[in-house]
Amino acid sequence: MRLEGEISVGSAAELKVALLQALASETDVRLDLERATELDVTALQLLWAAEREARRSGKAFELTPSVPPDVLRVVGEAGFENFPFAGAAK
Amino acid sequence: MKKDIVIDKYKLTFLEEAREILVELEAALLALNENRGDKELIGRAFRALHTLKGSGGMFGFDELAAFSHNLENAFDEVRNDRLSVSSELINLSLEALDQIKAMLDEATGSGTASRAVSSEILAKLRQLTGKAEIQAAQTSPPPALPEVPKDAARDWHLHFGPGPDLMRHGANPLLLLRELKLLGSLSVKASLAAIPPLAELDAERCYVTWDMVLTTSSSREAIRDVFIFVEDSCELTIEPTAAPSPGPVAATAVAPIPAPEAPKAADKKPPPWGRRATDTPDNASSIRVPAAKLDQFVNLVGELVTVQARLVEIALRAEDAAVVAVSEEIERLTTALRENSISIRMLPIRGTFERFRRLVHDLARDLHKEVELTIEGADTELDKSVIDQLNDPLMHLIRNSMDHGIEPPETRLAAGKRPSATIHLSARHSGASVLITVADDGGGINASAVRERAIEKGLATADAQLTESEIFNFILAPGFSTAQKITDVSGRGVGMDVVRRSVEGLRGTIDIASKPGAGTTVTLRLPLTLAIIDGLLVRVESAYFVLPLATTLECIELTSLDIEKAHGKHMANVRGEIIPYIRLREYFNMKEKRPEREQIMVAETESGRYGFVVDQVLGDHQTVIKNLGRFYRHVDLVSGATILGNGTVALILDPHRLVRDAVRSTSASPHANVRTTGPRARSAPAIAMACQ
Repeated sequence: MRLEGEISVGSAAELKVALLQALASETDVRLDLERATELDVTALQLLWAAEREARRSGKAFELTPSVPPDVLRVVGEAGFENFPFAGAAK
Repeated sequence: MKKDIVIDKYKLTFLEEAREILVELEAALLALNENRGDKELIGRAFRALHTLKGSGGMFGFDELAAFSHNLENAFDEVRNDRLSVSSELINLSLEALDQIKAMLDEATGSGTASRAVSSEILAKLRQLTGKAEIQAAQTSPPPALPEVPKDAARDWHLHFGPGPDLMRHGANPLLLLRELKLLGSLSVKASLAAIPPLAELDAERCYVTWDMVLTTSSSREAIRDVFIFVEDSCELTIEPTAAPSPGPVAATAVAPIPAPEAPKAADKKPPPWGRRATDTPDNASSIRVPAAKLDQFVNLVGELVTVQARLVEIALRAEDAAVVAVSEEIERLTTALRENSISIRMLPIRGTFERFRRLVHDLARDLHKEVELTIEGADTELDKSVIDQLNDPLMHLIRNSMDHGIEPPETRLAAGKRPSATIHLSARHSGASVLITVADDGGGINASAVRERAIEKGLATADAQLTESEIFNFILAPGFSTAQKITDVSGRGVGMDVVRRSVEGLRGTIDIASKPGAGTTVTLRLPLTLAIIDGLLVRVESAYFVLPLATTLECIELTSLDIEKAHGKHMANVRGEIIPYIRLREYFNMKEKRPEREQIMVAETESGRYGFVVDQVLGDHQTVIKNLGRFYRHVDLVSGATILGNGTVALILDPHRLVRDAVRSTSASPHANVRTTGPRARSAPAIAMACQ
């Protein structure tokens, strides 16, 4: 799954549907944020919830290693310490 | 794309709000100009700027945010008594306000904001505040708030829980955190416990709450100011921590960390100064509706009223008690609905009036005159569409007064007047009309000069006997000006013509009164609403007419005997009072023989009481006004038409104009001079219309 551009409240509903579909499929979920420029809090909480769900159902929910610094900065600023990719990207 | 639409919606809301804030800011600045030490007003200006900066930044209007921020800083200086309120500051702030307006226009694509103007204003501002660190408008994140010596820094514990709708209102909590960070060093801890399973999650709601430790020298007030525009929709506590900064709080993401100190309940309620600048107490229970929707609503109600009138007719003909009962019930509901829909469209005229404070302030400065604007009856309510169309004519009247009417201070002193002139704007209800006056205490209109000019332009013959108000009415003619010099402000003879057109477009009338040396008063009489009126339906032969109910006083019978007693003159004796009347049958040249008994409807017109003789008064009628269209636009006796229940058209008569026209066109007949409008023109001493 790849997210591009500014992921914010305007696209939150779409992202939720996409995440639900991804989780419902058989395969593991791999998230590519390379081309994402901005995440807002709605996106972060969706990803956080999706990761929790994936863990519960024994699926992998992982991140491609190249997360743009802007996105990481947002994660840091928002104080999402145990965020899946806060660790993954380091 | 959907996303874009959502964002645009938020931006539009911001643009709308920003304009409201600017109105508030302008009012505060102008009031501050009159009352320079007023802390409350300084606070108002500061809060307006702060809100503008904050929400501007939040919606991506970075340039606007940075610009407002610089202005806000200046007012912060004022707030802290480091800068005094001077005319320079007020004028500069007003200029800046215009620039912000231009930026907003640019955002909606209806104009451009010049970067050069921005930098020029900022440069002046810098000079004024003596601060070099004001940044150019291009830098986006607003820098830190007022600096206080570092040793005053202390730790604050903040708990911030966005309300469920915060995101939907377009706010972005992360930007708030970013702004907080600018105040000092910040460690943030998000509490994610409240996030529900993905499937149950409302994607547009913020479930995260934050606990933060902020080390800053800023006051609690400054911290709270960051949250100023989300305060109503979030949970916020700000507590000083007892211990020195403990560094980043170590806790798991799931468990909310315990507050170092139990938050005091008293801190939860918003303090008085935390209120948003544009808030009014009843704000919470009102909604914002686009004007177009409202217009559509009123149109539909208008259609309903027409259909309901037909139902009444049919019900009466059907002679079925059940149908009649339903029809009466519907009539009652329609009336209520109609009144309701009209009241929704009613707005106080305050906004329109207050806007002119700025115009008067600027013009007075440009013309080197001292003028004070006083306002009366600002709460008078008028139909929204009338208010919308009132701005231009009022502006021209005020410009005219300031340029031609009001004398320079020296001239005023020489004439034994106060050097500072007054323009008085007032509004009040009068029946179904609203009277709006623009009065000045300037030099007045030179009636003989106007008369001469009118004769010169061929508007009147040299030997014409003209009343003063007739003479003054020439001023309203297109291209008429007695000014010897055209100034920037007026003198082109266009302004008053605009006034006349706009007011006539609103089916209103203009009355000009002036005393040489004492000033001029222009009174606009405007209908309360343009959509639906209560009328009285009358019949002459087979034609139907509607007269506005609000102007009619009573209906009385007119028999041949009465006519005989009056010796054929068009006068009726109503309980001892002699009332002249106009027989519509004759007036409209209807040829059939008049019936034995006629009826007079006595109406209060601006020329006094007049009677209108008709064959039969049919009763009251809810009249939906339909425009007659371009073809009949010169017929000013008729203010529109309405469609009756049986499908026939009835013309709506304008009693004021009818009387005026009848008096004019039948001036040879004996009744015509019973009442004329205003005193005869006296040979007034020649006082030139003030104009340098």
